[in-house]
Amino acid sequence: MTDSKQASAFKEQSPLRAKISSLLSNQSVVLLITLVVLGTFFQWGSDGIFLQTGLLGTVLDEWGSYILLAVGQLFVVITGGIDLSVGSTVSLSSVVAGWFVVQQLKVGPEVTGADALPYVLLIAGICLVVGLLVGLLNAFLINKLKIVPFIATLATMGASNGIAVMISVGMPLQGPNDWELGAPWNIGGIELPISTMVFCAMFITTIVGLFLHKSRFGLYTYSLGSNAFATRGAGISVEKHITKVYMLSGGLAGLAGAYSYVRLGAGSNTSGMGMELYAIAAVVIGGASLMGGVGRIVGIALGTLVLFVVQSGLLTMTVVQVSPDLKQVIVAILIAAAVAVQTLQNKNGRK
Amino acid sequence: MSGEVVYEIKNASKRYGSVIALDGASLKIHAGEVVGLVGDNGAGKSTLVKVLSGAHQPDGGQMFLDGKEVRWDSPRQALESGVETLYQDSGLAPHLTVSQNVFLGREITVGGILGKLGFLNKKKMNHDAHRDLEAVGIAVPASSRAVSQLSGGQRQAVAIGRAVAWAKKVIILDEPTNHLGARQANEVLNIIRNAKAKGLGVIFISHTLPHVLEVTDRIVVLRLGRIVKDAPTSEFTGDTLIGTITGTIQTIKVEGD
Amino acid sequence: MKRSTRVLAVTAAAALALTGVATAATPATAAKKIKIAFVMGAVNDPFFNAMKVGAVAEAKAQGVDLLWKGDAQYSAATQLPIVKNVIATLGKGDGLVLIPTDGAALQASNDQAAAKGIVVANVDTQVGNLSKVLIQITGNNEDGGAKAAAAIAKAVGYKAGSTYEVVIGLTSATATTNVARLEGFKAAVASTYPGLKVVDTAYSESNSQKAATNVDTWLTKYPNLKGIFAIDGTNASGAAAALQSKGLVGKIALVGYDAYPANVDLIKKGVFTALIAQDPAAEARLAVKTIVANIKKGTKPAKKNVTIANVALTSSSSAADIAKYTYKTK
Ligand SMILES: Nc1ncnc2c1ncn2[C@@H]1O[C@H](COP(=O)(O)OP(=O)(O)O)[C@@H](O)[C@H]1O
Ligand SMILES: [Mg+2]
Repeated sequence: MTDSKQASAFKEQSPLRAKISSLLSNQSVVLLITLVVLGTFFQWGSDGIFLQTGLLGTVLDEWGSYILLAVGQLFVVITGGIDLSVGSTVSLSSVVAGWFVVQQLKVGPEVTGADALPYVLLIAGICLVVGLLVGLLNAFLINKLKIVPFIATLATMGASNGIAVMISVGMPLQGPNDWELGAPWNIGGIELPISTMVFCAMFITTIVGLFLHKSRFGLYTYSLGSNAFATRGAGISVEKHITKVYMLSGGLAGLAGAYSYVRLGAGSNTSGMGMELYAIAAVVIGGASLMGGVGRIVGIALGTLVLFVVQSGLLTMTVVQVSPDLKQVIVAILIAAAVAVQTLQNKNGRK
Repeated sequence: MSGEVVYEIKNASKRYGSVIALDGASLKIHAGEVVGLVGDNGAGKSTLVKVLSGAHQPDGGQMFLDGKEVRWDSPRQALESGVETLYQDSGLAPHLTVSQNVFLGREITVGGILGKLGFLNKKKMNHDAHRDLEAVGIAVPASSRAVSQLSGGQRQAVAIGRAVAWAKKVIILDEPTNHLGARQANEVLNIIRNAKAKGLGVIFISHTLPHVLEVTDRIVVLRLGRIVKDAPTSEFTGDTLIGTITGTIQTIKVEGD
Repeated sequence: MKRSTRVLAVTAAAALALTGVATAATPATAAKKIKIAFVMGAVNDPFFNAMKVGAVAEAKAQGVDLLWKGDAQYSAATQLPIVKNVIATLGKGDGLVLIPTDGAALQASNDQAAAKGIVVANVDTQVGNLSKVLIQITGNNEDGGAKAAAAIAKAVGYKAGSTYEVVIGLTSATATTNVARLEGFKAAVASTYPGLKVVDTAYSESNSQKAATNVDTWLTKYPNLKGIFAIDGTNASGAAAALQSKGLVGKIALVGYDAYPANVDLIKKGVFTALIAQDPAAEARLAVKTIVANIKKGTKPAKKNVTIANVALTSSSSAADIAKYTYKTK
C-alpha cells in the first residue's frame, strides 16, 4: 500500500542543507577553532611560554580536577536537571577520606611515594562511596519528596559543606600521598604535560562518554531530558534512571574529591569551593542545553579545556599584566557570551 | 465485527481530586476491529486511554486481555503484553533519532559483554526501524535522523508506525490526526486500516468525525466520564453522532458489563 | 574581621544542620555566678576554635560561666538573633564578648546590652562607635603582612640593590583581612625591602585547589621566582601542595598565614619558610579577664584599644612559641 504518492508526503529534506546546518551547529568544531585561536593569542601574549610543557601540564591538571564534575553534570543537565552539590561533594568526600586515614588509621603525611599508594586507593574508594551516597540523597529528594533538582541539590550542597567543615574543623587533613601521581610523565627523556592523575581523569571521561553515546544508559538519559512522558510511556522507569544519573554525578564528584586529595596531599573542606559553577559553565560552553536533551562528551571535554585555557592564559600573560579582578570579569563575560551564543543557536535551530 | 474480544475494561472509574474523569466506563475491543472513541473535550477519553495503557491506575474496575484479568502497575507491563499506545501530543522524544524512538525501551544491544553492559547495535536498529515502519505503510526519512528535524506529519507517522509495528494485540491512538493536513491525515487512516488488516484491535480517538465515520467499525461516545452510546458505525450519521456527543440526542445508558 | 569568605559559602542548609550553639560552661555551683557570653564569628572555623580554647581556659581560671555562641556562617543576618537572644538571658553584672560580624548592624544590640548593665568587650572586629565598650582587642593584620615581608627577605638572603621576584596568593578582592595583610606587606617592601618585587597576584576564590593551580602557573611563568606569600590558610595549603608536588620544597621561600597544626608540621619539613600566626586565644583571654576585673572591682583597662601582634613562626622558633601559637582545637 506504500504507493509513491504516500511516500512523497514524508519526503526527506535536502541532505546538503542538513549537512551544512549540522556542521555549523557542531559545537566541537567551534570549540576546536576557539582553542587554536586562544592558544595562539596566549602564546603571543605570554612571550612564547604558554605552550610549553610545564604550563600545558598545569592547564591539564586543572582540567582534570574539573572534568569529572563536568561529565557528571552533563548527564544531569541532559536529563533536564542540575546538580549544585558537586563542588561540596568534592570537599566532603576528600575530608571524610582524610579524616578516616589521618584520624582513624593514624597515618600522616610522612608516608609518601609507593608506600602511600594503598592509602591513596583506599581514599579513592571512600571518596567514591561518599559521592554515591550524596547522589542517592539527591535522587531521594527529587524522586520521593518531589523537590525540584535545583533546590534539592542546593540543600545537599549546604549540608555537605557543613558536614565537611564540622569534620575537618575548617583545616586541611594532611595525610599519606604519592606526589608522583601528579607529576608529568617522562617518556624517553621527553616530558609530557600528562600526569597519572590526568590520565585517570581522561580514561574515566572516555569510558563514561562511551556509555553516554553508545549504551542504553545514555539513550535513556537523552530521552528523559527530551520527553519524560514519552520515556515513561515507552516502559522505562524514570525514577530509577534519575537515581542512576544523580548517583553517577555524585560518584564522579567523589572521584574528583580523590583527585583533589592527591593534588593537595590533604582532604580539604575548601577543595571543592565554587566548583559546581565552573562545572555548569563548562557544560554550557561545551554545548549542552540547560533545557535538557542536548550535549556531547567531546564538547564538554573541549568546553572545560577552553574555560581553563582562558583562566590559565590570562594568568600567564606578560604583554599586559591582567589583574586578578579583571581576570574574573573576563571569565564571567566569556561564560555569559557562551550561554548567549548557545541560546541564539537554539532559537535558530528550532522550528 | 471481526474476531474474539481481545481487550475489555469493565466499570472503570478514575478521579483527579474532585474531578470525576471516568465514571463506570466499560468497553470491549475485538481483534481486527476499529473502535472510535469520541466525546467532548474533558469527556475522559485521554484518561481512559491512560488507564488502558497502564500509565494511570484506575480507582475501580477490571481489565481483561484475551479473557484473562490484568492489572498494569506501569506502562511497561501493558507494552510487554502487546498493548501499544500513542499518547495525545507527546509521542516521541524530539532529540532522539527515528530509530532510537522506535526502539526506545526495546533496544537491540550488541553481542557479548558489551551487550550485557547495554551497548547498542545502532546499525541494526536503524535498519530494522526503517524496515518495520515501511512494513506498516510509512515511508520514513533516514531513520538515523533526529525527530526534531522532521515535519509534524512525519513525526506523527513515525509515532503511529512505532505503535503499529510493536503492537501484538491492541493499539490505542489518542487523537493521532490532530494538527495534520488532509493528506497526512488520510495516510494515518490508511495505517489504521493496515493495522486492522493485521488483526489488531484498534481504538481510535478523534474530533474529526468524518474520519471516525470513515474508518471505524463501532463508535463509543463518552460524556462526563460515562459511556452514553456504544453502537456499530453504520447506525450513525454525522448529525446523529454530533447530537450524541453534545447530548442534544437522548441516549440510553448501555449495560455496564 | 576574619576568614569570612570561606565560611560565608556555607549555606543556609548548613546553618540548619549545625544548630551552631556550643556551650562550654563550668559546672554550675553558686547561685550568683558571673556569666560571660561570647558571641563569635563562625562555628568550626579554626581561628574561632582556637579563640574558644583561650576563652574556656580563662573563664575556668576566673571562676565564671562561659556561654559560647555563634552560627555556622560568618554573617550579621544570623548573628543578630543570637546576640538578641543572649542579651535577654544576661543581666546586670554579666559580661558579653562580641565579635561583630558587621560593625554597623551590631551597633544597636551592642549598646542595648550595655544599657542593661552588661559589660561589653569587642574582639577581633568592632562596632562603629566604641563609647559603650569596655575594651576592644584585635590582632594586627598589617603587622602580619610586614612580618611576612621580613620573613621572605630573610629567607632569600636579602641584599640591598638586588631584586627578588615575589608573588602573592590572595583569596578575593573583598576579603578584608587579605587587604590589610597585603597593605602591610607592601608598606614593608616600600620602606625596608624595595628589592622584593611583587610580580603577580591571583585569587584562589576560597578554593585550595585553585590556590595550588595559581602557584603551579607562577612556578613556570617566573623561573627566577624567589618567594611566595600565601595570604591565608587556603592559599597556604594550596601553595604548600604545589611546592611539594613539583619537588621545589626549600628552593622557593614560602610564607603562609594561620598556624594550622598540619601546616606548623610543614615548617619542620621546610615546606614553609615561615607561618604568620595570630593569637586568637590571647585575644579571648584578655577580653574575659578584663570584663571580670571590671565587674568585680570596677577596674578599667589602661588602654581601650589593644592590639595583639602577629608572630612569624619559623624552624628556629622555640618549642614553647610554636606550642603557644599553633591553633588548638581542644
Ligand atoms: N492529571 C490530571 N489532573 C487533574 N485533572 C485531570 C488530569 N487529567 C485529566 N483531568 C481532568 O479529567 C477530565 C477528563 O480529562 P481527559 O481525560 O483529558 O478528557 P479528554 O481527553 O476527553 O478531553 C477533565 O475534566 C480534565 O480536566
Ligand atoms: Mg484528550
